[in-house]
Amino acid sequence: MPIIETRDLRKVFRSVKRTPGALGALRTLFSREYVERAAVEGVTMSLEAGELVGYIGPNGAGKSTTIKMLTGILVPTAGYVSVAGLVPYQERKRNARNIGVVFGQRSQLYWDLPLIESFELLRAIYAIPAERYKKNLADFTELLEMGDFRNTPVRQLSLGQRMRGDFAAAMLHDPRIVFLDEPTIGLDVVAKESIRTFIARANAERGTTFILTTHDLADVERLCRRIVLIDQGRVIYDGAIERIKDQYGTHRTLVVEFSEDYPVVAVEGAEFESRVGNVARLRFDRRAISADQLIRRVTEAYCVSDVSIEEPELETIIRQIYVEGYTDPNAAPAAPAAVP
Amino acid sequence: MNPVTPYIEFARKAFAREGTYRLEVFTNVGSLVLRVYLLRCLWTALYAQNAAPPNIPLHAMITYATVALLMSLILEVDGTRAIREKVREGGIATDLMKPISLPLYWFSDGFGQTAFHAMLVVPALALALLLVHVDVPSPAVLAAFAVSFAVGYGVNFFLNFLMNVVAFWTLETFAIQLMIRWASDLLGGQIVPLDFFPGFLGTIVENLPFAAIYSTPLRIYIGELPPAAWLGAIAAQFLWLGVFAVLSATVWRLAQRRVVVQGG
Repeated sequence: MPIIETRDLRKVFRSVKRTPGALGALRTLFSREYVERAAVEGVTMSLEAGELVGYIGPNGAGKSTTIKMLTGILVPTAGYVSVAGLVPYQERKRNARNIGVVFGQRSQLYWDLPLIESFELLRAIYAIPAERYKKNLADFTELLEMGDFRNTPVRQLSLGQRMRGDFAAAMLHDPRIVFLDEPTIGLDVVAKESIRTFIARANAERGTTFILTTHDLADVERLCRRIVLIDQGRVIYDGAIERIKDQYGTHRTLVVEFSEDYPVVAVEGAEFESRVGNVARLRFDRRAISADQLIRRVTEAYCVSDVSIEEPELETIIRQIYVEGYTDPNAAPAAPAAVP
Repeated sequence: MNPVTPYIEFARKAFAREGTYRLEVFTNVGSLVLRVYLLRCLWTALYAQNAAPPNIPLHAMITYATVALLMSLILEVDGTRAIREKVREGGIATDLMKPISLPLYWFSDGFGQTAFHAMLVVPALALALLLVHVDVPSPAVLAAFAVSFAVGYGVNFFLNFLMNVVAFWTLETFAIQLMIRWASDLLGGQIVPLDFFPGFLGTIVENLPFAAIYSTPLRIYIGELPPAAWLGAIAAQFLWLGVFAVLSATVWRLAQRRVVVQGG
């Protein structure tokens, strides 16, 4: 049985229509004209326990709205939603026991109190048994290296320390599902990596299901095998990262370092992209020419000291999809020949 | 674990939190004592110049004003103020993701703050006594006052709650808040006893819910309400408490259904 399931989940926001200008503002006070905007328009997805899924999409795509419906704080306009066997908006408090949440931009720790006091409070909120609490606290203190600042008031913590505190806070009660919203935003490379390691370990060792919402696709690439891509309230892709890379990553870049200076670099089958010093970048379609073939052509024509192949990054692919929209190549093949 | 435990914990944390701002504590007590002194001067001057209501002699009036100020130390704590800030800044979302009742959370948080401020009543009263004379009624009156004050505290909580929960609809409630706060101070008898309202206006004011917050306990304290009238007065307070509680529960249900988290 899937741990999270939604079918045709919809959320329409209704807001008062505003007319510009001073008179308009006055009219807004009395008129009851509404504008409707669908933030989520029929999202269907299903997650198994223990999955670590990247839920991504451009700003305003409906990610946060979906998460809010899964956490039970927004009532869907239509559709079915079930989280660990519960309908979140009907049983918000029971659902809350099964989930944990980490918001990169919003701490849930008590600002004025030492970190440890927030943990104590959470222990009371979730009625965590003493043994379990002690064990989890000890584990997280070690994994997240919180020993040095556990007794410091939260307002004096650095962003990296605060985020680590927030992770521990979200997971002290052993939630089955944890929602992560931009968990590494604003962190430096080292802090990012330690957070990512923590997520990966919690997923592997505790079997916690994670839904990761982020704009940092490096997080997704490092942690998730599966992504759900959403745009304008609809799921446009749901599947393995590898598959989308395969479909979209038809082009590779061959980076060639020449041992001599060549004024012009041209190789048949590849497109000249850029050049810095004697390092040139050549873009090629791997369906038209194999890397092997291309390298042979390059080395036949030039003196080469080093070559390497760059695969497209998820970021590049996703950017392309945001701009062009997603088309499933397995669906009806596009027929450019039909265009006169 | 006991289902009440988290709420006791909230109150304790709020208590601890209040204690972290020491300067505020001192200024609070200082300004209160100053106001006690000013009110004594004001009332003494007013009584010397004007005809005062026959049922409140000057010493009772000064007692009334002083006790009202000490009560305000407790009643002006508004644990539900957080609603407004949290709805505006979006923090309400994380609170709603916890397995707790939020109204109860705000009540306990407010109660913790109150408990801290209640401790300040002692030094404030001690200092005030150096400047004014306060009548101390019989234990029976004090007991009735305590009961009435506790019910008034509840009414005040729900009034605050209702004002702040409006934030779920308008996101900006400061003006409403200020208006109701002034109305409740004036019409509730915090600034002047309701006896000062003339004729039918007085009758109206005495039957408004605001009277349940300051006026009823204070009238018990200064002896304006005889023991025979206590039961009726406190019953009226309970009535308002019930009405506000039901209203709050209804509004809260509606509010939960229309969470629109800012910046989400």
